[in-house]
Amino acid sequence: MPLNRSLKGKEYQEVTFEVTRPEVVAFAEAIGEGNPIYRDAEAAKTAGYPEQVAPPTFITRIQIMTSGQVVLDQELGLDYTRVVHGEQQYDWRRPLLVGDTVSATPRLADIYARGPNEFLVIEADIKDRSGETVIVARSTLLSRGTAGA
Amino acid sequence: MASTVKFEDLKIGDEIPAKSKVVRREEVKAYADASGDQNPLHQDDTFARSVGFPGIIAHGMFTMAHLTSALTDWLGDPAALKGIKVQFRAVVFMDETIVAKGRIRALDEATRRATLDVWVEVDRAGERQLPIKNSTAEVELA
Repeated sequence: MPLNRSLKGKEYQEVTFEVTRPEVVAFAEAIGEGNPIYRDAEAAKTAGYPEQVAPPTFITRIQIMTSGQVVLDQELGLDYTRVVHGEQQYDWRRPLLVGDTVSATPRLADIYARGPNEFLVIEADIKDRSGETVIVARSTLLSRGTAGA
Repeated sequence: MASTVKFEDLKIGDEIPAKSKVVRREEVKAYADASGDQNPLHQDDTFARSVGFPGIIAHGMFTMAHLTSALTDWLGDPAALKGIKVQFRAVVFMDETIVAKGRIRALDEATRRATLDVWVEVDRAGERQLPIKNSTAEVELA
């Protein structure tokens, strides 16, 4: 069944997220990232950072929360088992550090069909406590075979 | 807090060092926990078969994280990585070897930035698959 196109442009609830040391270490380990600046505050300070650094794609953690709101939106009519991640874009203004608190308000920027599939574009500006944008994230999810007739 | 790669040392067509790794089930499980993406497609073989795959597949973002590591290993500093835009075009199964690669596409002297074509390869039964292709990264050089 096709998705509810009238939701194009919908803004979802703001999500807030704190960058904690154990989560950064667990993430670095999971992706096999060996750089010590992601494991240890002292190594990060030696490299010129004020604190332990989060790997660039650590932001995926908050993005899973923001896009989760869209995917689970009952009004959208999405079947989660048909969803595939099609594209991902990140623009970084600065690396995230342990102790940062970031917030994002996801927006369903676009819904369109191409061939048998439908596409959802979710955008979020991820901001720090001072309101500065740290990362801009844009995800395209693909709903397989739902364009229908 | 800056790239160790000098703008003047690069020319269009140069490739960055390729980075390989074997994708292990335990790592994909650890990634599910660390990222919060608990989709059963990445953990439960029975579920993966029910939607047409022979077994679980890695998260697209797991493969993208590896590509990002290849870039930051080369750059010497994550702050030098300014942007990335990827397309996920093929799945990655457990115990396959993913190889992240990049090549300089454009150089901008005014900003000392480079745009790279980036991709991830998997050799599957003698055929090259591209889990990430048609993708670019933007970096700031010393």
